[in-house]
Amino acid sequence: MARYIAQRLVLMVITLFVIVSVSFFVLHSMPGSFINDPRMPKEVKKAIEDKYHLNEPLIVQYGYFLKDFVRLDFGISIALQPKVNVNKILATKIPVSMQVNIFSLILSIPVGIILGIWAALKKNKIPDHVISILIIAFISIPSFVFASLLQYFIAFKLGWFPIVVTTEQTLTWSKFVSMVLPILALSFGSIAGIARYTRAELCEALNSEYMLLAKSKGLTQVQATTRHAMRNSFIPLANIIIPMFTGIMGGSLVIEKIFSIPGMGSVMVEAINAKDYPVAMGVLFWYSLVGLLTILIVDLSYGIIDPRIRIGGRK
Amino acid sequence: MKNRECILEVKDLYLTFNTYAGKVHAARGVNFSLNKGETLAIVGESGSGKSVTARAIMGLLPKNANIDKGEIIYKGRDLIKLSDREMTDIRGSDIAMIFQDPMSSLDPVMKIGRQITEALRIKQKVPAAEAKKKALRLMEAVGIDNVERRYNQYPFQFSGGMRQRIVIATALACDPEILICDEPTTALDVTVQAKILELIKEIQKERNLSVIFITHDLGVVANMEDRVAVMYAGKIIEYGTVDEIFKDPRHPYTMALLSAMPDLETDSSTELYAIPGAPPNLLHPPKGDAFAPRNRFAMRIDLEEEPPMFKVSDTHYAATWLLHEEAPTIDFDTFKQKTLEKRRKFKEKEKNNEESQKPILEVRNLKQYFTSGFGRRKLVVKAVDDISFDIYKGEIFGLVGESGCGKTTTGRSIIGLYEPTEGEIYFNGELISRGQKHKGSRKFTREISMIFQDPIASLNPRMTVKEIIGEGLKISKLYHEDEIMERVYKMLEIVGLSKEHANRYPHEFSGGQRQRIGIARALIVNPKLVIADEPISALDVSIQAQVLNLLNELKNEFDLTLLFIAHDLSVVKYFSDRIGVMYNGKLVEIADADELYRNPLHPYTKSLLSAIPIPNPDYERTRKHIHYDPSIHDYSEEEPKMVEVKQGHFVYGSASEIKEYTKSLEIYS
Repeated sequence: MARYIAQRLVLMVITLFVIVSVSFFVLHSMPGSFINDPRMPKEVKKAIEDKYHLNEPLIVQYGYFLKDFVRLDFGISIALQPKVNVNKILATKIPVSMQVNIFSLILSIPVGIILGIWAALKKNKIPDHVISILIIAFISIPSFVFASLLQYFIAFKLGWFPIVVTTEQTLTWSKFVSMVLPILALSFGSIAGIARYTRAELCEALNSEYMLLAKSKGLTQVQATTRHAMRNSFIPLANIIIPMFTGIMGGSLVIEKIFSIPGMGSVMVEAINAKDYPVAMGVLFWYSLVGLLTILIVDLSYGIIDPRIRIGGRK
Repeated sequence: MKNRECILEVKDLYLTFNTYAGKVHAARGVNFSLNKGETLAIVGESGSGKSVTARAIMGLLPKNANIDKGEIIYKGRDLIKLSDREMTDIRGSDIAMIFQDPMSSLDPVMKIGRQITEALRIKQKVPAAEAKKKALRLMEAVGIDNVERRYNQYPFQFSGGMRQRIVIATALACDPEILICDEPTTALDVTVQAKILELIKEIQKERNLSVIFITHDLGVVANMEDRVAVMYAGKIIEYGTVDEIFKDPRHPYTMALLSAMPDLETDSSTELYAIPGAPPNLLHPPKGDAFAPRNRFAMRIDLEEEPPMFKVSDTHYAATWLLHEEAPTIDFDTFKQKTLEKRRKFKEKEKNNEESQKPILEVRNLKQYFTSGFGRRKLVVKAVDDISFDIYKGEIFGLVGESGCGKTTTGRSIIGLYEPTEGEIYFNGELISRGQKHKGSRKFTREISMIFQDPIASLNPRMTVKEIIGEGLKISKLYHEDEIMERVYKMLEIVGLSKEHANRYPHEFSGGQRQRIGIARALIVNPKLVIADEPISALDVSIQAQVLNLLNELKNEFDLTLLFIAHDLSVVKYFSDRIGVMYNGKLVEIADADELYRNPLHPYTKSLLSAIPIPNPDYERTRKHIHYDPSIHDYSEEEPKMVEVKQGHFVYGSASEIKEYTKSLEIYS
């Protein structure tokens, strides 16, 4: 096992290096400059660009970048928040996004699973049809439509919740209340995804022969379902739930815009638009790292959940 | 007759399934009773309603099934009227059931110990330690060793036969009185099947269980004692004791079924008796006797009115108008005679001129290894490990062995689906085992073709029948479109289908018809050699005979050579001229079919022969299954090899073993 993880980690480092290198060259080959003030004298512009080594050959710039990169230092932002360290910018933005996303996950995993189980048990009956219609609606209607509707009716018309999220950094009750609507808007999609998947997996497990044997042993439908069908149907569920955790850091561009959340959602796009190379590189790196780690965790989790992989691989 | 207490009674059970096409009448008035401590075997082909009846007893019918009429009386209570909650008390503790596929009937992620004790712990509230003790005892009783360690293992760590033992232990955990076995050995190899059948019989005697044994295999039925009920089209058409059913069958269907199965004694020079037609579609159940359209002794009344149960003896009843006092008496002997007249004789098999003939296919030291992983974790599976054999022109070479012995791999290597790890394959004297890239391989792929086991999976569902059959001609680009069509139509007729079938899709056909399409596809390219990989094992008995006869006929007509791969030794014995027995990637014995049957030399061949269930109760009672233990061979000092001990009879063994084999051969003759 340890050997396997070590192997995977080495491969991960190589992958990361490739991702970062490719992104570096792609980002830097975009035309234009981060200074777009047309009145700025050419000499001044050149002086500023020289300061950031932007006029040197790309390969030299890449050398500078790598030197700092090994210390995980991405330098300072040049356009978005000039002269602030990139990692520091991210450190202020990520927690904000995380708060909203964690609550959204806490809400959507159990609700999604329960709806999925309910639909599977009542397959082809009214509850199943209702849930299936809701699932289709939640998946096909974009989250910003929900967000706008919630904001307009519940926050603006009824006034139950604040329209935008408060700017407090720490998590207080008032902050939580203001976050309820974006949490809801974010959750609908993942609830639908989880419910749909759970329903499909559980339906298959319910029709399996081991369920038949369990029932012929004298277990009731409920006992047989909870003891046998559920566990088997959760194995493939890990596949979609674990990646959701990686989404935590990301934040949603649209939802954060609508509710004025100062999170990660827009940083990447703004950084690229403003040609703020250090910020863009920093965001890309951290995202890739988390993404790769998630894939590793998913693969390892199969071994933990499924004895066939855990014990079978040991031979 | 009623000296034994009747424990379960099914009365006039009518069952329907709601499907998109309409109502399927799966059971149409099933009646039977089960006495305490006896075994009742229910035989029937797929779709005859046998499994559905069993599921109805357990109260485990699928959601789209309805019980329209009838009673299932157990201990004075009608099980149909009980609520699901009341049924859960009966399931497991009074009536238990085991299923066909042990691979999928155990929960893959739960330790087997927990699966066995589960019902005890939950329903009877037995404390954990006590439940474990009982489970260990049960595991020992079903023949699992190392129980303490095995108790904490998962199902995937057990072989198929072992899993079925665990399923049996699970079913017995709450001490039921009735055990329903739904095709418990169909998915297992013959040698494993023999062991499981022994086990069920043993347990039945020990615990005085009542067993309902559902199967399609008459050989297995003869092995189980007591009574037999034969089902056809949702009805029990005949029941009686084992001897009555096998020696004096009265219903023409029973007679036909008994004649359609080749056993080791069947004369291989005559065509098999094949029941014409196919079972009726139960969407629209026929009027009168459901078997009448396939019955050559049917009278007019058979088509008009349903026959009642006629009494033959106190224990033997049959539902056929032939037993009416005004009907002509047709017993098994007249049936055999009458059907025999119609059967064609094949021309005497030419033998002894094989030396003069050149082999059409030579396999020399073929090795086919599959590897996975690398470095220290490298895993080599020796699927085929150094085998050599010849196939002569015009013969049928049978290759038998259990699942996983490498017989299918051999077939695939010959046709070039795998590139051999080592060894050569010569076809008509030319080397063909160089893989696909080799120039001229096209020609060989046209001259060797293949028929597959599963007629459902091996036909592309999105292609019409004419596209499927014509594809082989199309890719060779030798024929014009019209020519191809002409040949497709001709081929369809040859295999017993008609021109109208050409534009349909595979799902519109029955299993037997699909296999005919598969045969047509294989033969349209005019092959010299056909590799038939278990072509009949997915088919019902009455259909098997049709396909075997067809293959035999086509073989003569097209002058084919066949490599017939199968696990069923009695079919192979009937069908082949020479047989090769494979075990664990090696050929252990090759001989003429009759010779192999009369004088088996290798202990594995003996074990295989002894394991085959024969539809003859007298034979079954005296049958002793010989267990094969591969560790008896000591090859540490002497290198084993294939030796010809008698003309055309090869055995694999070390020098001292060969000496013994030769000696026993002298005693035989």
